Amino acid sequence: MPSTRQLKLRIRSVKSTKQITKAMQLVAASKMRRAQEADKVSAPYSQAASELLTYLASQGATKSHALFETRKVKSRLLIVIGSDKGLVGAYNSNVVKAYIRELQQDDKTGVKNETIAIGHKASQFVARLKDTAVAGVYEYLSDQPAGSELRAILDTARNKFVSGDVDAVDIVYTEFLSSINQKVTTVRILPAGFTETEVTREIREALYEPDTETVLDAVTYRLISAQLFQALLDGKASEYSMQMIAMKNATDNASELVDDLTIEMNKVRQGAITQELAEISGGVEALSE
Amino acid sequence: MNLELITLLGKKIDQEVYEVMIPTAEGEIGVFPGHEPLVTIAVPGAIVVRYDKGDSDSQLDYFAISGGVVEVSQEKVRILVDEADNGDDIIESESKAALARAIEMRDNAKDQVELEQAHQLVDRHSVRLKVADIRRRHRR
Repeated sequence: MPSTRQLKLRIRSVKSTKQITKAMQLVAASKMRRAQEADKVSAPYSQAASELLTYLASQGATKSHALFETRKVKSRLLIVIGSDKGLVGAYNSNVVKAYIRELQQDDKTGVKNETIAIGHKASQFVARLKDTAVAGVYEYLSDQPAGSELRAILDTARNKFVSGDVDAVDIVYTEFLSSINQKVTTVRILPAGFTETEVTREIREALYEPDTETVLDAVTYRLISAQLFQALLDGKASEYSMQMIAMKNATDNASELVDDLTIEMNKVRQGAITQELAEISGGVEALSE
Repeated sequence: MNLELITLLGKKIDQEVYEVMIPTAEGEIGVFPGHEPLVTIAVPGAIVVRYDKGDSDSQLDYFAISGGVVEVSQEKVRILVDEADNGDDIIESESKAALARAIEMRDNAKDQVELEQAHQLVDRHSVRLKVADIRRRHRR
């Protein structure tokens, strides 16, 4: 049985670990709130883009456009969004699991694939794989990636799609449903799709300069960038909420461990006292005889 | 007329204005209330906003943008951009340093991806610098 001194040291070390995990939990909670708020701000952007696209599609402009071209999928580009740091619970392993499922599916159907990894943990994993080509790695993006950071990723995806290198572009990311519920999903961003919305009279009557083709090109590009942005923000919000829960569990476990150790320490101490008393009274007995 | 300047990070402006100047592929256009409906492409440059008819040139607001889509109708202007930085928020010395760094990166780029990124950074910072410069001249 360990001595009281050893137990005391262990309790102290568990307590300081608990302090750290508690702090990380609070930090993750506030970061999650911020990411959650940011998650909503891109809605007007996609809304406006969808409105324009709905009209342009009704004019038949999307039929012949390169970004809308639906081909038989022989190869595709997967964009995997993971986290840069660890200690985020099952966040990365969930994403990786879904990603592996996609790869296995491609193997079965004979589809070739390439991968763009976002986040250090995702890129570490992808680098070890042999059956996918790495088209790009992006690490340590900011929590709200600006346009210029997104553009590098988007341009790679678009060029590969337009040149015919790949026939589809999918994003594997964690959808943020609520702070306790996140789901890994795969969404297709190319060929482009959009949700039809109501079109105002002004858009119908407007003049398109230089021509509908160019406008369509720009609008579609922006819709895709909004989709990627949304996926990145969802990923961030999910990452932080999973981290928060993981750290909460760690804090709870530490508290439990401290309680158990304290009880054990008290037992050992009491045992020692009892033993000493027994020895003293034994000695007194022996003397009086 | 109502001006909406929408970026990925939310609406930068959503209010009544008198005049907007937008850099487009065909040159700069000035939009006043009652403009013909128009949908066009904005190129990297400065969006200039005059909030009220009586505002002098020194009260204009400048936004550096990196391209976008413009939608003009009778009573509304909607601009979808990737980024919009208010001229007031741009610190000239910092932008200058950033531009110098970007140019250095472009000259030393090892591969296509790096070069591409450097080009974008150079464009971005030169636009920001230009906006800061115009604003300073008008405010003097």
